[in-house]
Formats: sequence, C-alpha cells, structure tokens
Amino acid sequence: MKITKTPVKSPAKAPKAAAKPKVAFFDFACCEGCQLQVANIGEALLDILGAIDVVEFREVMSEKYDKDYDVVIIEGSITDHHAEERLKKIRARAKVLIAYGACAAIGGVNGMKNSFKLDEIRQYVYGKDYKLFDSTPTRAIHQVVKVDYTINGCPIYPPELVEVLKHALRGLPYTVPDNPVCSECKLNENVCMYERGVACLGPWTKAGCNSWCVNNGNICYGCRGEVNHPAKNAAKDVIAKYNLKPELIKNKFDMYNKCKEGGK
Amino acid sequence: MKSWPVSGSEVLPFLIFTAFLRPPRRAGEASRPLIEYNIWAVSVIIKTEATSVNYHILRKDKLDGFIKSLARKMKVCAPVAKGHNNFAFEEVSSAGEIALSYIPTILPPKKYFMPQREKMLDFDLTGDQPKDAANLEAPGMAIFGVHTCDLAGIQCLNMVFSEKPRDYNYILRKEKVLIIGLECNAYCDGHASCALVGNHYPNGGYDLFFTDLGDRFIIHVNTQKGEELVEGMGLAKANPADMSALDAVREGKKKAFQNEIGTELKDLPAVFAKGTDSKVWKEVGDRCVSCGNCTNVCPTCYCFDMADTINLDMKTGFRTRTWDSCQFGTFATVAGGENFRSERSERQRHRLYRKFKYPIDKFYRSFCTGCGRCTRTCMAKISLKDTLKALVAENK
Repeated sequence: MKITKTPVKSPAKAPKAAAKPKVAFFDFACCEGCQLQVANIGEALLDILGAIDVVEFREVMSEKYDKDYDVVIIEGSITDHHAEERLKKIRARAKVLIAYGACAAIGGVNGMKNSFKLDEIRQYVYGKDYKLFDSTPTRAIHQVVKVDYTINGCPIYPPELVEVLKHALRGLPYTVPDNPVCSECKLNENVCMYERGVACLGPWTKAGCNSWCVNNGNICYGCRGEVNHPAKNAAKDVIAKYNLKPELIKNKFDMYNKCKEGGK
Repeated sequence: MKSWPVSGSEVLPFLIFTAFLRPPRRAGEASRPLIEYNIWAVSVIIKTEATSVNYHILRKDKLDGFIKSLARKMKVCAPVAKGHNNFAFEEVSSAGEIALSYIPTILPPKKYFMPQREKMLDFDLTGDQPKDAANLEAPGMAIFGVHTCDLAGIQCLNMVFSEKPRDYNYILRKEKVLIIGLECNAYCDGHASCALVGNHYPNGGYDLFFTDLGDRFIIHVNTQKGEELVEGMGLAKANPADMSALDAVREGKKKAFQNEIGTELKDLPAVFAKGTDSKVWKEVGDRCVSCGNCTNVCPTCYCFDMADTINLDMKTGFRTRTWDSCQFGTFATVAGGENFRSERSERQRHRLYRKFKYPIDKFYRSFCTGCGRCTRTCMAKISLKDTLKALVAENK
C-alpha cells in the first residue's frame, strides 16, 4: 500500500526542538482530580513532556508565567463573577483553550446548584449573610468564553487527553464521537448493565471513553454529557422493558448535566 | 473415490451437467447461483460413498480430553457463560469452562475474523517519502461450538470480503481459523428466526460439526483439516445406529423449527421492494436509540471506519479500522455536512434492506442469519420478527 498524497506541511503550532509550546493548567470550581489524572498517565507522560513545555500548573509547580500561552487547559466550572473575569483574562492570553473534564466541559456536578433558585441555595450554603458571598448559576467554560477543544469525563479518560493534545499541537480539529456509550460498550462485549438489573446512562451519553466505567463493573453516570440527538422516546421503551421508574433516568442525568438548561 | 476430471474441456461439461441436478428447495430458501448447484451435486456424489465415513463419534465424557488436546495445539475459543443469561466466545482450556447449551453470544464469532479494532498499518513521515508497513495479526486458533446461524454469518462475510478489492486481512486471518460447529437441537429462545432463513440445519462453513446425541456427539468431518484432527485423536467412526440417531434428531427438528413469521423468505424481497415508504419505518425510527447495538452484534454487519493516529513524536503513527454502524447519526454524513440518512427511520430501514433485499439481489442469500441478536440486544425492544410481520401485513 502506498500513500500517494504529499505529506502535509507542519502547522505553525507544531512543536519545534528549540521552542516547545507553552502549556498552562488552571482550575476553577472542581476537585482538581482531572489534573491529577495527568500524573496518572504513566509512561506516556514522558512523551507528553517531550512535546510541550508546562509553564504553569498549580498542582505540581509554583512557577508563574507572564507571557502569552500557546495552550491553556482549564479544569472546573464558572460559579461566580470573580471566576468569570479571571477566565476571560486567561482566554485573552491563550492561543488555544481546552475545556478539561466534566466541570469545564458540561458544568459537571457543580451544575446541581442550578436545580435550585440561586438565593435559596446561597442561603442554604452560607447562612443568613449569604449576600456577602458572590455566586452565579454554574456555567460550563464554553458558556463563558470560546473553547477550542473539549476533553470530557469525570475524570477525563487519559488516552483522550493525549489524543486531544496531539490534535491541538497540530492545529487539527478533534471530533468527540456523537454516539452513545453503548457503541463502545458493545465492542468491549460487556454484559449490558440493564441485563444486570441496573439503570445505566450509556444509551444517551457521548462515547469516547471506551465504556471505561462499565468495563470496570460500574454503570455510566453520564459524565460526558448527552449525545446531540438523544432518543427521547426510547427512554420510555427502556423504562418499560426493564421495569424502571420514569424519574430514575432523569435524576441520574441531573448529576452531571444540569448546566445544559442554564440557571434559574 | 472417483478420479476427477482435470482439464478445462473435461470440467465444463461436468459443471453444466451438475447444474441441472437441482437440490430440493427447502421452504423459505432463495434461488441459488448455478455454482451452488454444482457444489451440491458434487457433494451428493461424494456423499453416496461417504455417508458414514465422514462421521465420527466422541463420547461426552471424552469432550474434556478433546478440548485439552486441541488447546495444546492452538488457542481454543468457545462460548462461556457471563451471567444473566449472557454468553461470549472466550479462550478456554477445558470443557468445563464451555457453555454447551447457550443462546447466541453477545458478539458473534465475526470478532475473530474482523476484530472490533484492528491495526492495519504503521506509517513513518520522517523521510522525504512517507513509509508504511502493512500489519496483520492472525494467530492460529479454533472456535468450538459455533451454532448454524453463526456459521451462516461467517459464510456471508466470506462472500463479502472475497469480492474485489479483496480484504487480505480478513482472508488471511480466516485461513488460520478452524471452525467447529455445534447443532441446536431446539430453539435457543423466542427471538431467533433461523427457520425463516433456513439456518436451523447445518449448511457447510465448518471443519467439524458436532451434534448432541445424548451420551455422545456425532461429528461431521467437512474438511481435510478437520479430518486430520479427528484422525489424530483416534476418534471412532460412526456406525449405522449413530447415523439413524442423527436422522432422528434432524427429523425432530422439522417439527420443532417452523417459519417464525409465516411468510416465505423468497417473498420478502418483493415485500421490501414495495415497502420503502412504509409507516413501519417511522414507528421503528421513533423508538430507536441509535446506539448501534443491533449492528455491532449482527453476524453479517461488516461496516467499518478507518482512522490514522499519530504518535507524540508527530512523525510516526498507525492506521486503525474499527467497527462502524449505519445506525449512528453521523454514519452517512459526507463532506459539506449533507447527511443521507439523518432520520432514525431511514437508518433502521437501511439496516433491514441490507439483510433482506440488497444481498439477496446481489449474492442470492439472506444476510439475516436468524440468530435473533438484534432483537435481544435492542434497548428499545425493537423486534425483527415483529417488524417483518408488520411490513408483510401492510402489503396484504
């Protein structure tokens, strides 16, 4: 087999031996667990560090950087005005922005705040002086600034981080599969969670994680967000087939997917 | 054994002659290409002389020895219970691990012929000219306990991948696989429709074929590879009593297995030809999840996607092919954003046309093997049998 096409010229953003791309990690409302996944990558981490120059990463280093970033990786969601301003400043200094992890990509568990009236939940958390504490409905990063790449998941799936990073460094678009998790779960030949008598969000959640949770005996919690055209009617059939309560699926979805509807 | 004609001028009249010896058409069977009549006639000629020669006996208490001896020669895969009435083909080393009584596995054995994810080549862009090297992993192996529906599935894939341009990865891998079939003496469950497509009886496509006769298996030897195996293990030849026990099993199946939808297979292409705008598709499309389960578990679905992955050095990489599904919303999307099957109803319709209409026109063969996996796996309870019945009813 021969490749007849001439090789594509390296894009401007490709790493050069002398000047590797400057990459910075920042976090907002999150548990910082997705950043910890970077350290969990193992051997591939050495290859990654060979391709990029990490200039800011609060979890692992104290150095700061005062010039423009080639790539910024943002973890966490935006839950107050201060965070919004800080994010906008980072965006202004970044050539490429990657929303990193469920909180950044879809709002994540912080989105549960949006199930309540804002003042109600502020009062519940901060007590009678709640007005002293700034708070806004939870928003995902793309609901505040322009996002160039998204790495879904809670936590992120490390192989996907490597793939997205490679695409970002080459300036190529990365496509998150718009198929349900079932599509990958079936290739892994898992016994369907519904067959085991457990409700799973796989049929409506975006794939790309290689059905990581189900491979390890857990259900899909929907942390990667809904597919673009979730099957609304099918939910009824699934609920009927497996004798479930209609509210069950919706409640499970609310854990990660509340930002989709915006705040109250 | 008769000495076969060797030169072309001798072969041709023989082929023409045998083409006129038509095998009796079974209920629901589609018309066949001439070559199949040739093969049938040859097999009949051989059979007259080989009725019990090609059959051997394995006592059930010797099955463990058979599997262990096979596993010493090569990797052996067989159906294994996964709990919750789910089964999967997995590597085994003894008979105790095998589920002899099983409903069709989650994935059909096609995963051993075209793996879910397969590396096709490595590439290197370092020099002036890009370099690439083809990749093939084809371990010698045996698959034990393949039901007749799945044997039919492999036969379908063989036809597809032998067409030009040939798929060398598939063909070379297939050559390394020894297939041992296992007869279903009764239905696996109510979702199967193997009698509709005539796959409840063995129809070739195996090296050895096991039928359960109670305390023993009778083994039909279909290939030289299979013959060498049973000869090597010193299995006894079947005697006339064994042959009549096999006939009794087959006779019993005539009653037990009946056309599951009440319409002949040969009538379905016409039903489909008229059914393009049927409301059945909308009804099915409204319920479909687009999860791709039905195509992933189908023994004859072979669509795949190719993608290149570059390594972090940004110079070397590899090409992978992964199973794809016509049920995914993006499957028929082309450059420019046009989607030829953006509606679920169109995608479901397409799936069934690819089983009951297009392949019958092209290969004279149903690409539904009747295994029932698509119905079993459907999250939304979409039933193949019900869809076919509704389509037929609309045409009456």
